Amino acid sequence: MTAVVETEGLTKFYGARRGLEDLTLEIRPGEVFGYLGPNGAGKTTTIRLLLDVIRPTSGRATVLGAGTRDPRVRARIGYLPGELALEGRERARNYLQFLADVRGGVSRGRIDELAERLDADLSVRMGELSKGNKQKVGLIQAFMHEPELLILDEPTSGLDPLVQQEFLAMVREARTAGHTILMSSHVLAEVEHVADRVGIVRAGRLVAVEDIAALRERAVRHVELHFDAPVPRESFDGLPGVRDVVVQGTSLRCTIDGRPDALIKAAARYTVVHMVSAEPDLEEIFLTYYSEEEGRHAHAGA
Amino acid sequence: MPTLVRKSLGEYRRALIGWTVGLCAFLGMYISIYASMMNDPETFSKQAIAKYPGAFKDLMGGMSDIATGRGYLQAVAYQLLGPLLFTMCAAILGNRAIAGPEEAKTLELTLTLPIDRRRLLLERWAALALGLLAVALVTLAVATGASSAAHMEVPFGGILAAHTGLFLLVLFFGTLTLCVGAAFGRKQVALAVVGVWGVAGYIVETMGRSIDAISWLRWLSPVHYYLDGRPLYQGWPYGDYLVLLGATAVLLMTALLAFERRDVGV
Repeated sequence: MTAVVETEGLTKFYGARRGLEDLTLEIRPGEVFGYLGPNGAGKTTTIRLLLDVIRPTSGRATVLGAGTRDPRVRARIGYLPGELALEGRERARNYLQFLADVRGGVSRGRIDELAERLDADLSVRMGELSKGNKQKVGLIQAFMHEPELLILDEPTSGLDPLVQQEFLAMVREARTAGHTILMSSHVLAEVEHVADRVGIVRAGRLVAVEDIAALRERAVRHVELHFDAPVPRESFDGLPGVRDVVVQGTSLRCTIDGRPDALIKAAARYTVVHMVSAEPDLEEIFLTYYSEEEGRHAHAGA
Repeated sequence: MPTLVRKSLGEYRRALIGWTVGLCAFLGMYISIYASMMNDPETFSKQAIAKYPGAFKDLMGGMSDIATGRGYLQAVAYQLLGPLLFTMCAAILGNRAIAGPEEAKTLELTLTLPIDRRRLLLERWAALALGLLAVALVTLAVATGASSAAHMEVPFGGILAAHTGLFLLVLFFGTLTLCVGAAFGRKQVALAVVGVWGVAGYIVETMGRSIDAISWLRWLSPVHYYLDGRPLYQGWPYGDYLVLLGATAVLLMTALLAFERRDVGV
């Protein structure tokens, strides 16, 4: 299977300022790829390079098997810009119809169906749309022609939680239909429920590409156990993957990396009356990547 | 009509209507004053005109025959104010093609449509040219109607030749705005270039007639190719008009090349 998005040494400098350096990335057909990083890390630069809004300083990129300079390929892409601007007196519905016509048309009723799902009012003039409604119009135009590749830059910004859920459902449907999705975010929580893989970009460089499942496996978990009687701390010392153990009378708190197996087996020797395990915090592991990378850079610089 | 031309014309519509109404009101009012002036020949008698400073008369295109229909029409409509207002209209519309949407950040989504950049720019330009043509046609009708109502006795052929020149001049300036906007993506830069070239070009063309030191600069002034042939008097200055058209084509080519290789919205 050929990659939907493929970049090799893709680099973009704005004058002397680094936008993106040496990005080599492959996005496979049918996957949801979360592209993560803090603001200004190079996410939007990457996306604009893929859509030929800006031109690379060096390196190359192909999208859907064609070079990014080929305009025809863009009919098969749905794009939501990170800074979506909609202006003027034109009504949202007419604008969507215009975009649909240029892209070669959309199936009948598709725009209305999406508008209903996202609860968007398309009779409003574009200059008068609220931020949330602009984002909805942006999502409708990205999804309406059922593109093979969706490129969504910070798609959930400005959406209320209910609409976010609907949006995630739309992403899942697109994946079920075999389409590929590249979505960026600065928080992992926004993409972890739909993404198959995540790429982490920082200061213009791709730091890591990870399977979400593997990330979850390695995720940090905070666990709290309550026993019917005080437990000796020593029984929990030196367990593999268990750290920060605090014993206070009948309760024990600790952090586990990865599997909870060793802790469970150790605790099984006592009577457990209550157990609390927080959702694996992927954010934390995500941040470890950052600090590790930072440490390495600091080290190299010293 | 291609989708993008239609869409752009839709975006220009309100501005086009506004400028057409404004230009027509200007032409109608100024031309109709001619009739009342004729009732009071003192205003523009030879003696009265002689009192104006020479440089002012140069700037106003001579004014030697302002008491005639043709001279008056040239002085009020085709010499300074008409081209000035119409050029402002062209510059504002020219900025709507690329620089305006780019600054407003709406251009990004348009660029990601399956249209190549050359076609995008050409269709935006075509909409600009068609819009300016529409304004030119309506104002031509008003200028013709008002001048015949005021008994100016200027033949239609002369008005048509002068008005065509006016259209070519504003098409040049509109294309110039579009070109600078396409190259730099900034409205202010485009307006500055048009303002400086337009005003300097006008001064050089009018004052250069009597100041030898700057006379050669007239060749660089777009206004030269509009005013020098005196179309209202002498009919079609084909050569001059071809220069304006050719310069417009060069600007359009430059815009295409510059826009093709530029990062948008950075």
